[in-house]
Amino acid sequence: MDSINIGHHISEQFNKELEDIRNHVLTMGGLVEEQIENAIKAFTTSDVELAEQVIKQDNQIDALEIALDRECMQIMALRQPTAFDLRLLITVLRIINELERVGDMAEHVAKMTLHLANIEGNKGESYYEIQHIADLVKAMLHDALDAFARMTVEQVPAITSRDENVDREYASIIRQQITYMMEDPRNITRTINVLWAVRSLERIGDHVCNICEHLVYMIKGEDVRHVSREELERKVKGE
Amino acid sequence: MTTEQTRTHAIDMNSILRGRDLSPEQLEITIKIENLNLFYGQKQALHNINMDIPKRRVTAYIGPSGCGKSTLLRCINRMNDLVDSAKIDGKILLDNENIYDKSVNVASLRRRVGMVFQKPNPFPKSIFENVAYGLRIQGINDKRALDETVEEALRGAALWDEVKDRLNDNALGLSGGQQQRLVIARAIAIEPEVLLLDEPASALDPISTLKIEELINELKEKYTIVIVTHNMQQAARVSDFTAFMYMGELIEIGSTSQLFTNPKKKQTEDYITGRYG
Amino acid sequence: MISSWFKSGSPWIWLNAAAVSACLIMIVGVLGLIVVRGIGHFWPSQVARFSYQEDNAQAKTLFAEIIDTSVTPAAAAKISGYKMADDEDDLVQYQIKTGNRDVTGADFRWLQERNIKSQDLPADLMVVERREWGNFYGQLVAVKENGKTLASDGQAWSVAQTKIDEALIVYEEIAHLEKKEIGAINYSLEQLRLKGRKLELKGQLDETAKAAIENEKTELKKQYEQYQIQLRTLYQKIRSASLVAKTDSGKEVDIPVAKVVRIYQPNSMNLFHKIGHYFSKLGEFLADDPREANTEGGIFPAIFGTIMMVLIMSIIVTPFGVIAAVYLREYAKQGFTTRLIRIAVNNLAGVPSVVYGVFGLGFFVYILGGNIDKLFYPESAPAPVYGTPGLLWASITLALLTLPVVIVATEEGLARIPKSIREGSLALGATKFETLWNTVLPMASPAIMTGMILAVARAAGEVAPLMMVGVVKLAPTLPLDGNAPFIHLDRKFMHLGFHIYDVGFQSPNVEAARPLVYATALLLVLVIIGLNLAAIVIRNNLREKYRALEG
Repeated sequence: MDSINIGHHISEQFNKELEDIRNHVLTMGGLVEEQIENAIKAFTTSDVELAEQVIKQDNQIDALEIALDRECMQIMALRQPTAFDLRLLITVLRIINELERVGDMAEHVAKMTLHLANIEGNKGESYYEIQHIADLVKAMLHDALDAFARMTVEQVPAITSRDENVDREYASIIRQQITYMMEDPRNITRTINVLWAVRSLERIGDHVCNICEHLVYMIKGEDVRHVSREELERKVKGE
Repeated sequence: MTTEQTRTHAIDMNSILRGRDLSPEQLEITIKIENLNLFYGQKQALHNINMDIPKRRVTAYIGPSGCGKSTLLRCINRMNDLVDSAKIDGKILLDNENIYDKSVNVASLRRRVGMVFQKPNPFPKSIFENVAYGLRIQGINDKRALDETVEEALRGAALWDEVKDRLNDNALGLSGGQQQRLVIARAIAIEPEVLLLDEPASALDPISTLKIEELINELKEKYTIVIVTHNMQQAARVSDFTAFMYMGELIEIGSTSQLFTNPKKKQTEDYITGRYG
Repeated sequence: MISSWFKSGSPWIWLNAAAVSACLIMIVGVLGLIVVRGIGHFWPSQVARFSYQEDNAQAKTLFAEIIDTSVTPAAAAKISGYKMADDEDDLVQYQIKTGNRDVTGADFRWLQERNIKSQDLPADLMVVERREWGNFYGQLVAVKENGKTLASDGQAWSVAQTKIDEALIVYEEIAHLEKKEIGAINYSLEQLRLKGRKLELKGQLDETAKAAIENEKTELKKQYEQYQIQLRTLYQKIRSASLVAKTDSGKEVDIPVAKVVRIYQPNSMNLFHKIGHYFSKLGEFLADDPREANTEGGIFPAIFGTIMMVLIMSIIVTPFGVIAAVYLREYAKQGFTTRLIRIAVNNLAGVPSVVYGVFGLGFFVYILGGNIDKLFYPESAPAPVYGTPGLLWASITLALLTLPVVIVATEEGLARIPKSIREGSLALGATKFETLWNTVLPMASPAIMTGMILAVARAAGEVAPLMMVGVVKLAPTLPLDGNAPFIHLDRKFMHLGFHIYDVGFQSPNVEAARPLVYATALLLVLVIIGLNLAAIVIRNNLREKYRALEG
């Protein structure tokens, strides 16, 4: 496929509807990014208020998901899209699902913040050990949304390969937290909460990978779920 | 759980994985079009068409008006012979025999390759005589044989129950959808190998259209069907293979599900998604 | 003001309306005139007795029907040489039909109203329609048979009626014997003569053949003798009775019953009698042979000849026209040549019909007919068989005349058949000919019928070419009779159109025949309407059958 463009339909109305869907996905993505940002900030700085705000804002993401769902259904029913348009809508349905999960993960991190704050004897501790992994998944999500916005897939192998870094970071944080627990059993409560938060962040990385795979399907029409990295790269290059 | 139950619950993974995505290599080919060019006077209407049409499958041609899809269809039973200015070169092989060979009798070719047109065109005769027309042409006048074949053809076209009590009524009294099914019955009464359908539902209402589509689905058990349609959804619904034509050229041919979800050519994509190039 | 009225378009609407009205008025006028004049002809008009005194002469009695009235202003009358009194404003004149041509020498005369002294309608005034000399007006005196008076005065009328009825039956018998039986014998004799001549020409006329022919001849002659005897007795019988009648001048006249067609007393008839009389006259007009140089009696041979000629023409022209049209439209390669042919065909329709007559006479009659005679009928030379105008040539000439109409109409019809129908048939494995024969031609049949209707309408009305190729004033025999081969295409025939012309302008008594001209014209119109209606009904049935495809 030479170039992908959601415009150029003979029906202007159709163009506008697709454009709206894309914008709404990007809005939703932006919101999810903001949630992650805030959740991490709340977690690392034990900012209870911010955490509560994150939890409250999650229902906005849910509402957006439902709205986008309906928009996609409507276009499918009314316009019987084919080829790229069809793949775009299916991909959007899948991506918003993933984004909603990512939003849930952010909420989860925020909840962990509250849990940690409620632990007795907590004096406003900071939890900077998750900062690195958080930056990694944030960048991945940002790049994935960027690829969606530009409708290109060149970045996809680079993004998914960064998931391995996330996994490595995750493993090292687990090891580090186990050390804490072994140091002092009183740390166990705190450590487990941190582990939950990190686990959520790691899951975000997986969701971003899924989003990338959906993107490849959208642009290239190839199903790249459950394939090896080499094959993914080959398909992205369109060989 | 008994073995019986196990068997009924066994999942045929193969059929699920394959879906409708049949690969043409595994199929028997009925018609082979080779380097076909067609000129109307100075104007070239078909440019070097090469394609295979598989046996007992539905192959659809889609494309914008004037792209040559009907012209190509009409080449397959030599209907273009009627146009004085049409000049054809290249080959169309029907069961490995070139239908444009000098030795081919056009009338008997058309008996093997039936055709149904866009507008229902029943003859102003009774329903029975319409269906019996092709047989009478062949000199079959035995009442019993005619009765049998007519009933069979009408059943085949899913029209028997609607008309069995008024076989001697004028066919022009039928509704458009019934007329079109009558025309299909008329075509299958002479048991062709191939059925060419030239936009068979474009003049019909949605329900009649669905009936025709359903009929096509049944007919492909016995006949090789080639259909031209303006309605892409229709092509998507009824066909196994779809060919996209543009400006007299065959742009892309593939299994219908592939062509409609992931076409290989941009022109195809633009056309089926309703974009301008 | 005016210009805006022009721009509004209403002047054109008015112009159109005026043109349509003019057409309607003309059509109604033509039909009305013919109908009124033609229908009235058979109504028994009253016969008046006039007492007429011309200047200072003695008063005369006249029996007559009033035909026409003319009013001339006094001044104009003076200029014409009439003596007019000062107090007279107009000169009123009546045209009266006095009949009795054998006595007075004229059927009609003019009376000046001022000279009529008295006028009444005596009930016993009698009109006698005769086979010769036109009508007789007078009073019945007596009925005689073989010189003896059978009845007189009061009883005379009823006796006369029965005598005439008897005589009419005998007359029928005589006519039958003369025309049918003796006609057949004459025909057979002629055939025998031709057979002999044919054998002679071939050199095969040996003794046995001669004897056989002679035998048959004597056989026929014997039959002929018998008929002659029968005829003689019949003639005796019919000639025995006669009517004695008094004319207006008081002269007594003998009218043989054999010469009488019917008698009636118009002044004493009531409405029912008159209606009965009307229909019996109408029946005679339609079914009988003409009398007195076509001015009296019926016109059956002309009706028969017209219809027969039109039918034969249709039978000839339809297949030819259809085949030509099918070739032009379906088989011929469209191009310069076909265009040329079409132009030629269309122009043929514009050639004056008399030219066709000349062509028919020159080519069909003399060249074709002459050669046919030479090849197939050498025995009848020098008398021509087909080398003379006749029904066949008239029909063929008219077929040629109407061919363009049929070709054009059929081509139009073929062009209107949707392509999809032909393709439908071809796609079922039918050849081009099978498609034409099984679907296209049946569907074009309404158009073909339309062509035929137009052809019939044109052919039935043509007179000019027919005068050259077969129509005669009086044909002795019908072209269809009981002698094998029953249809005699070589015979000359009578035709309504020519009959009108002949009666109207060529008959010895134009004045008397004028109503007959109208009646015949009306009949011609009716025949054409009838032929057209029949064809239109057939066409509409066909069209109904193929209705859905026209749209």
